Amino acid sequence: MRLRTVYLLFLPLFIILGIVVVYPLMMSLYLSLTTTSGQVSASNYATLLSSATFLDALNVSLLYSLTSTIIALGIGLGLAFIVTQGLRGKGVFEALYVLPVAVAPIVVGVLFSPSSVWDDIVQFLHFQLGQPYPVINELSPTFFFPVMFLSEAWEWAPLLMLVALSIINSTPKEIYEAADLSGASSYQQFRMISLPTIFRSSVMQFVVVLRFIDAMRAFEIPFAWSNWLGYTSQIGSPVDTISLYLYKLLFSSSLGFPIGVVSAAALALFGVTLVGAAVLLRILRSGGRGM
Amino acid sequence: MTSPPETRTRRSRRGERTLMYVIAVLAAFYSFWPILIMALEGYNIDLGAFFAVLAGKSSCSIGGLTFACSFHPTPAFYLQALGVDAYPRLVANTLMISGLSVAIGFGAGIPVAYALSRIEIRGKDFVSYMLLAVRTVSQFVVLIPLYIAYTLLGLFNTIPGMAIAEQLLVLPVIVWMMRGFFSDIPRDIYDAASVFGKSEWQVFRRVMLPMVIPGIVLVTLFSVVLIWNDFLIADTLTSNATRTVDVGVWEGLSITSLSITASTWNSLNAAGTLAYVPAIALMLAIRRYLARGFSLGMTE
Repeated sequence: MRLRTVYLLFLPLFIILGIVVVYPLMMSLYLSLTTTSGQVSASNYATLLSSATFLDALNVSLLYSLTSTIIALGIGLGLAFIVTQGLRGKGVFEALYVLPVAVAPIVVGVLFSPSSVWDDIVQFLHFQLGQPYPVINELSPTFFFPVMFLSEAWEWAPLLMLVALSIINSTPKEIYEAADLSGASSYQQFRMISLPTIFRSSVMQFVVVLRFIDAMRAFEIPFAWSNWLGYTSQIGSPVDTISLYLYKLLFSSSLGFPIGVVSAAALALFGVTLVGAAVLLRILRSGGRGM
Repeated sequence: MTSPPETRTRRSRRGERTLMYVIAVLAAFYSFWPILIMALEGYNIDLGAFFAVLAGKSSCSIGGLTFACSFHPTPAFYLQALGVDAYPRLVANTLMISGLSVAIGFGAGIPVAYALSRIEIRGKDFVSYMLLAVRTVSQFVVLIPLYIAYTLLGLFNTIPGMAIAEQLLVLPVIVWMMRGFFSDIPRDIYDAASVFGKSEWQVFRRVMLPMVIPGIVLVTLFSVVLIWNDFLIADTLTSNATRTVDVGVWEGLSITSLSITASTWNSLNAAGTLAYVPAIALMLAIRRYLARGFSLGMTE
């Protein structure tokens, strides 16, 4: 292939990337560095760094993505363990376990709202088992944070299960046969052969970091929860992640639609996620020939 | 000649298997229960109310609000959501956006995927990195400038505008997955076709492209689900005319915790169920390739 042909092949992609990545980046940078009167200044960034709500949102985002990624990894590995036990109807179980990944995040926000799943459990305990009526205080952080983390993990654990399964399936069968002959239980086989293989796999490391990055930008589930808690579009709710904070800021007429500050914050988030991507690439390279 | 220890092992193995089945069923319950609940709530089947009625109580409590509860299943909320101006229009919008978006994505993505899988060029990693950056960039870095440009160019709230913006989601997936499918074709076939004196274009058009058609179908379905499930881009760049399913489900009801009445709650659940059913159907159809799609083509 001649070099000119190659350029021609890449041209359409670069045009699209120009529209949806390069132009927006430049424009955001420009917006973040100008005041409403058009002067060049870094005041937007200063506003941001002195804003407690922004720093709180950054905290929530970090907590949200770290916790939900770890829970999702745990659940995903557990599901992979179940699927690899050679149970009858394995295909059906696997299909059922995959379902959550297809549900849109905004719908997940509705699924796990205080009035759906939890309510049924409470009513069942009370009316059928005669337990005293338990009062769930949905406004308490000890309730809504775990539920949010769990719903994010519920949605994405199947993905980690699928990746774990693909790694297990590509491990030579002889290893498991040898372990079987020496009397290792299925749990021991999973713990001593599958788990180390999975954790050492660069693909798994890549997917986990990717999950972390996506959760850093999470919007829909916190957005739904902001509603359930009665904050709707009010800035500074306890569940504001960076994305949610930006969304509320962007549409807040009371603050005069501060697109400069929003752009600055979005770029700051991009910076944080880029550091994540750099970590990710490093993991990929040290993990060997993952690409 | 059965020795006691062996029997014990066999028996405990059987116990272990029963336990595994129990765990497997519980895990299925955990995965499926929230989804099922939503479908039932759409029919006004609230299990909480059901339990209360069963116990002869008449007051229910949902999310802290106490009200008189009843148990009257009805398809009315689904029928209402399926009304001409609601769900069907949202689906049509979503499918039109998906169609155009996938077409643009393939137009830009296939040549690159093909080039990346077939030739050694410098800057290959750069392209890969760019596509990864697309994935890591905050949606708001892109959405504000696009919103500004779209309002100036008249692309706001139009299907072409949305189709371009959705490239953020689908383009990396298309390039990475198609690159994998092209790489799966044995080098020999490519070489054999080249030997017969065909031009590069003919080799691509007559030999390589037909071989990745199953891949194209897969990636198309996967991309449609990604666009179907997107909320933020669609919510920011559309308004009434081109609203997509997920935005419609949420915005059409514009509910808050304080204003939930039993009927809007049921409508929301009916609409939510209708929103996830097609996505689940598509995902199950391409189940084997899900890991590959979500990990940007990293897994086999």
